[in-house]
Amino acid sequence: MSQRTLRIVLIVLTALGLALASYLTYVHYANLRPVCTSGGSCFKVQTSTYSKLAGVPVALMGLLGYVAIMISLLVRESENTRFATLVLTIGGFGFSAYLTYRELFSIHAVCEECATSAGLMTIMMLLAIWRFLRGGPEVYDSQPLATGEGAQAAHVSSAS
Amino acid sequence: MTPADSDLTRKERREQARAERKAQEEAHAAQSAQRKRLIQLGGVAGVVVVIIAIILIATGSGGSKNAPAPKSAAAKTASSEVISLLQGIPQSTITLGNPNAPVTIQYFGDLECPFCKQFTLSALPTIIKKYVRTGKAKIEYHSMETATREKETFQTQQVAALAAGKQNRMWDFVELFYHEQGEEDSGYVTESYLQGLAAQIPGLSLSQWSENRNNPAYPSQVLADAQAANQNGFTGTPSFMIGKTGGTLQKLENPSLTDASSFEPAIEKLLKG
Repeated sequence: MSQRTLRIVLIVLTALGLALASYLTYVHYANLRPVCTSGGSCFKVQTSTYSKLAGVPVALMGLLGYVAIMISLLVRESENTRFATLVLTIGGFGFSAYLTYRELFSIHAVCEECATSAGLMTIMMLLAIWRFLRGGPEVYDSQPLATGEGAQAAHVSSAS
Repeated sequence: MTPADSDLTRKERREQARAERKAQEEAHAAQSAQRKRLIQLGGVAGVVVVIIAIILIATGSGGSKNAPAPKSAAAKTASSEVISLLQGIPQSTITLGNPNAPVTIQYFGDLECPFCKQFTLSALPTIIKKYVRTGKAKIEYHSMETATREKETFQTQQVAALAAGKQNRMWDFVELFYHEQGEEDSGYVTESYLQGLAAQIPGLSLSQWSENRNNPAYPSQVLADAQAANQNGFTGTPSFMIGKTGGTLQKLENPSLTDASSFEPAIEKLLKG
């Protein structure tokens, strides 16, 4: 998988996470119940004492996290932006792990949306680690994502 | 071999050596970069682990310990009222009173229903003191969805009450719920609210209660109550069935929610009959 493909996959996964976190944040502030197929599990999780951290809804924290990851993916790629994506996804994974622990051992209920987000974040973190460790030629770094194959061609011709 | 060939070979050798040196330098640089990235990765992972550990410690090690303590004066008053009302009366799952009491009353309610609150706080205490505490009647609490806006919330709160019944404290939970009932449709029934109620029940093991809430039998029980309410032809809550224990129960038509004396003729008739 090329660095470019990896970046696109990460953007798609982040967009999914962003949609999910936006929905959960909306549901929280609109005082609605999230769509849930597992009886009262989502209710228990969404209204538990752990649904907020230091007074801030965890759904909003998730939303801000996904926004930050998306920004790190959309700016011109470099070693620094790959590192930023890595830091954010590892942080997101750690936070998801904490919330999953609370769901399983404190609340005794699992919220489907939260579990999906945790799964997305795990995949994103693994891809971000792979992307970061692989590094990338700085010539590629200077090409905007939108130029597509033209950028690849420019990279090949300038490297040869 | 001509001198020109010899020169060319030397030149080629020099270029080859230069290329090898360059390749070695590049490999070395790549190795250094990779080592640096691994160190950065380890550093980030370490920092995240430390932050999560701090959050875990700061938010406590278990859910039941973090149940909101009943702090308000109103909650304390409600708690002491409920304790004094129910103290010494036997409870078994959904039933309050002596299981062999001659009269059975079935109370169909919705925990968020304000009329049920009115009945529970006005007429019910007299019935409990006069007939249940004395072993003449027992009351079963059944659920019927009316005031609760969402089906999921209705089931969650009812299952929470049934789970308290597993420790023979369902009536404590139900009474406290009505005493501390919030404004209708305000979304006050949250996990914190339910945990707060449970935390006010003396002798209730919160961890056991939390586990029992996952018992798959309780949602079925809520469904069975809904079917029974439908069969009885109830259109609102609170609604009541009354009869001799073990016999056929009859619908109690339009009793007063605030005056226990509207229940007395039916109960006395059954006790005499």
